Amino acid sequence: MPREIITLQVGQCGNQIGMEFWKQLCLEHGISKDGILEDFATQGGDRKDVFFYQADDQHYIPRALLLDLEPRVINGIQNSEYRNLYNHENIFVSDHGGGAGNNWASGYHQGEQVQEDIMDMVDREADGSDSLEGFVLCHSIAGGTGSGMGSYLLETLNDRYSKKLVQTYSVFPNQMETSDVVVQPYNSLLTLKRLTLNADCVVVLDNTALNRIAVERLHLSNPTFAQTNSLVSTVMSASTTTLRYPGYMNNDLVGLLASLIPTPRCHFLMTGYTPLTVERQANVIRKTTVLDVMRRLLQTKNIMVSSYARTKEASQAKYISILNIIQGEVDPTQVHESLQRIRERKLVNFIEWGPASIQVALSRKSPYIQTSHRVSGLMLASHTSIRHLFSKCLSQYEKLRKKQAFLDNYRKFPMFADNDLSEFDESREIIESLVDEYKACESPDYIKWGMEDPSGALTGEGNATGTVDPKLGM
Amino acid sequence: MEVSTTPRWNADRPFLTGRFHQEIKVSSSNQTGSWGHSTDAASLGSENPIGSYHASVQELFVIEDLLSALVGIEGQYTSIKRVRGKEGHFIFQIDSSMDLALQEMAKRIFPLCENFLIINQFVESRSQLKNGLVNHAFAAALRALLLDYQAMVAQLEHQFRLGRLSIQGFWFYCQPMMGSMHALSTVIEKAAADNLAGSAVLNLLQSQAKAMAGDHAVRSLLEKMIQCASSAYLGILERWVYEGVIDDPYGEFFIAENKLLQKESLTQDYNAKYWRQRYSLKDGVPSFLTDVAGTILTTGKYLNVMRECGHSVQVPQSESSKLTSFGSNHHYLECIRTAYNFASGELLNLIKEKYDLVGKLRSIKHYLLLDQGDFLVHFMDIARDELAKKPDDISVEKLQSLLDLALRTTAAAADPLHEDLMCCVERISLLKRLGTLKGIEVKVPAADGNDLEDPISITGLETFSLSYKVQWPLSIVISRKALTKYQLIFRLLFHCKHVNRQLCGAWQVHQGVRALNTKGTAICRSSLLCRSMLKFINSLLHYLTFEVLEPNWHVMHARIQSAKSIDEVIQYHDFFLDKCLKECLLLLPELLKKVERLKAICLQYAAASQWLIASSVSIPDPESSSNGPLGSEKPRSWRSRNRSQGLTVAADKTVSATDSLLKFEREFNSELQSLGPILSSNSQAEPYLTHLAQLILGVGNEQ
Repeated sequence: MPREIITLQVGQCGNQIGMEFWKQLCLEHGISKDGILEDFATQGGDRKDVFFYQADDQHYIPRALLLDLEPRVINGIQNSEYRNLYNHENIFVSDHGGGAGNNWASGYHQGEQVQEDIMDMVDREADGSDSLEGFVLCHSIAGGTGSGMGSYLLETLNDRYSKKLVQTYSVFPNQMETSDVVVQPYNSLLTLKRLTLNADCVVVLDNTALNRIAVERLHLSNPTFAQTNSLVSTVMSASTTTLRYPGYMNNDLVGLLASLIPTPRCHFLMTGYTPLTVERQANVIRKTTVLDVMRRLLQTKNIMVSSYARTKEASQAKYISILNIIQGEVDPTQVHESLQRIRERKLVNFIEWGPASIQVALSRKSPYIQTSHRVSGLMLASHTSIRHLFSKCLSQYEKLRKKQAFLDNYRKFPMFADNDLSEFDESREIIESLVDEYKACESPDYIKWGMEDPSGALTGEGNATGTVDPKLGM
Repeated sequence: MEVSTTPRWNADRPFLTGRFHQEIKVSSSNQTGSWGHSTDAASLGSENPIGSYHASVQELFVIEDLLSALVGIEGQYTSIKRVRGKEGHFIFQIDSSMDLALQEMAKRIFPLCENFLIINQFVESRSQLKNGLVNHAFAAALRALLLDYQAMVAQLEHQFRLGRLSIQGFWFYCQPMMGSMHALSTVIEKAAADNLAGSAVLNLLQSQAKAMAGDHAVRSLLEKMIQCASSAYLGILERWVYEGVIDDPYGEFFIAENKLLQKESLTQDYNAKYWRQRYSLKDGVPSFLTDVAGTILTTGKYLNVMRECGHSVQVPQSESSKLTSFGSNHHYLECIRTAYNFASGELLNLIKEKYDLVGKLRSIKHYLLLDQGDFLVHFMDIARDELAKKPDDISVEKLQSLLDLALRTTAAAADPLHEDLMCCVERISLLKRLGTLKGIEVKVPAADGNDLEDPISITGLETFSLSYKVQWPLSIVISRKALTKYQLIFRLLFHCKHVNRQLCGAWQVHQGVRALNTKGTAICRSSLLCRSMLKFINSLLHYLTFEVLEPNWHVMHARIQSAKSIDEVIQYHDFFLDKCLKECLLLLPELLKKVERLKAICLQYAAASQWLIASSVSIPDPESSSNGPLGSEKPRSWRSRNRSQGLTVAADKTVSATDSLLKFEREFNSELQSLGPILSSNSQAEPYLTHLAQLILGVGNEQ
């Protein structure tokens, strides 16, 4: 059973979206709530083994680790109808159950302390797979557990499984409304550093945009967590379809990611999905052709990352790469035409320093889920406008840091002991250079970015720090 | 052909075969108007010359003689002689002392007698076994006619005995027979002259009937003859189109069977001889069947396929479907059409339903066109070492077991047909293989002909291929040739996948130095080159799969669903393969060589990437980092920082790495750029190349 992927869901948010993800996978593969294959789901042709393994009694068990520092969400899962799905040995809740108090440092520190327990679980899962391809981490970057413990896990995984891929689904906080977590900018910044340095790919799920989509596209006046989480699970399951329903290309995670990610650090992806529906919502039946789907995927209103860019900057933002995963009954002859039309209409603004075009992956749809639309599509894209999201995080951090607010909570933990706040500075530096790199991608001569001699005679002397564009501090 | 001959005793007794007439030699000058010129009355052997009687008595003698002559017997005053060396010519001699008017009358009647003799002789000679069914039937029909004729003679004789027959009456009563007997003898003379048999006889009769269109009586007689003569032939035809059996002991039928070609050969024979040459049309198709000969051939061929599959299929027959005649109402054409529709429908059904042709094609698509490529990922994982060997050192058995393992553990496990998949390792590169293929038009530029040299170090990765066990009767559609084409496409895809894999590996190497600030370094440059290469190979794969294979397969699939016959299916399938082969650049060696060159650069780069990155980076010893200035203070929290700071760009070692990186970059970019003009110059003739150019060169490269 090759190329397995182990999922780690950390913290409240991570476990919630993880649970939705597994629900969705079970539906798509025809696996019952108890992990037993439904009678109608025997025709095969799908790859359940990438995300599940079979117990001795033929139960399908998710390759998932449920980790949290407080018991509420995990208890919820254990009392839900899906309680028998998971391997109970893979559930970790800290003994004291007190959570991380929305403090990154607490989460990180506690992660360090329970490292052995957790890594035992990871090792066990890894040993149970033939040729592990990598890990998927679900978490939010704003709270304490998902961000702090998640960060610690990222570092550890990177150390211990340096040959394996690490992909994360990271939920970015809603920046439109005032958060109940005041230290959210600190947490985000510290997590972002690990996401930049220790993950191979980060799928950015922006709560702001998710909310906007729920309100505007799904016409929900007050979207609940469950509803936005179902959007996330849709994206997560759709982005793994090429692994689960093998096709011509992108049948392994590395192939999927390598085609999308240009340089080691520019590995933040944004997603778009259409047509969107939420459970129990009366579907609006509409025409779905390949061209329609591709066109909708390029519309900002369908993209699950909000753009904080000003108009002028937005016009300079460029796509580095796009992968459209089209699911359903697709007439393959339409694919070329659709791409042609999009090219003719210049609907996509691509980077100029290298060849770029929309990649398409056609994938089967689960035969067990009835939908009113024939074709659905997911876009995974690397887009330079994502830098504005990071700039926003930076500017919020700057505001808080200037006031020296709430730093005491962090000084309690070893990393920041003795008023050593260099970790903050270093994180900030790394995020700034990331923003810089994305910005450089927008210019046609990115290839020569940071090189002193533009003629191409490389000296090999790398700059230690990137200069920060003053305009970026919004 | 072994046909038992008529026993000798028959030929030895001329009175049995009507060949008892005395033979004489006639000089050619004397031939014209040979009837009844005799100077020597005594030679006729009668006691008194007839001239010595009164005219009315002479009339009685003449009538008596003529009645005998009508059935080919010499009379008192008439003699019948055969002409030596001229088959079918008779000379009638009459006593020249006879009354001139009577002589004249007798001479008018003699042609009828001669016709009788000719026909009679024909009937006798054609009834021999060796002459075939058509001749037998024709002779039988003629014999029936001769019976009528003899009845007429008997009636005339009866009238004569009653004393009611005058020579004029005789002449009058003969009239109806004269025309038809003459027409028949003309036909027979032709048939006998060329020694016709089988369908040629039918053709002759038919053309004669057409020529006699004005003479209603003769025409209908000839048509009756055609009908009788062809009934045996139609019997053969009927068994062929209704049962697929050639029941043709005398080799008259226009379809020949080559029993040497075995159906098993289809899986080996590149030219699919079995299908195309097992049954073939011979010369001598009856003219009334020329338009449907092809249909008849395929009808029986289809029935035979079904019989070979162990299904005894018979076209349902009813009274109306009997092939009785091929008259002008074209009923027989309808019967043939019905039989054809039935046979092709049944066979198509059999192949599509019982033998699941589409399932098989889909399965081939999964594996040979990589429609379900996950097994290949796993296979390449586990067979990496074996494939890296030279083709001669590779153990095909080992590869096969690894392949089986890969198939069992991936999505292919659900497909019961995956067991038909086999490994094979060829000896030569794809380019060279294309050059050796017969029947596939590869446009080799003349000057480039000997350029197709194998790279020196060719490994299993270049020569690995899959094969597929195809059983009869599916081998009709998926012939050796078709499979070979599939394999060519597979080899191209497989190698592209291999390149893609290696580049993904290189990409992961870059990911390893993420912690390092790479701005403006060779690493950054290298990762962008890696991206360009990945983009190239992905675009190529995207083109091959989503722009060529998938749409064309889709079209072929729809066409096969609506196909009416197996030949149509074969045609659609072959068309699909040829189109794919062409659009996959396999027929354009010039372009393919460029692509191979680009892939080779990618592979070299991927192989070097580890070294490139390693020599661009210096990784500090773990010991020295723990002894660092801050190491003792906060060992845990600093771990991550050590990683990011410890990896610094090592300036001294990078020069050579940078040089070779730039060399890769230059080579790759120049090769890629040189692809552009080739693509655009060819795209006039091959529009699909525009797609490829758009994909590979991208939109960002226009400036």
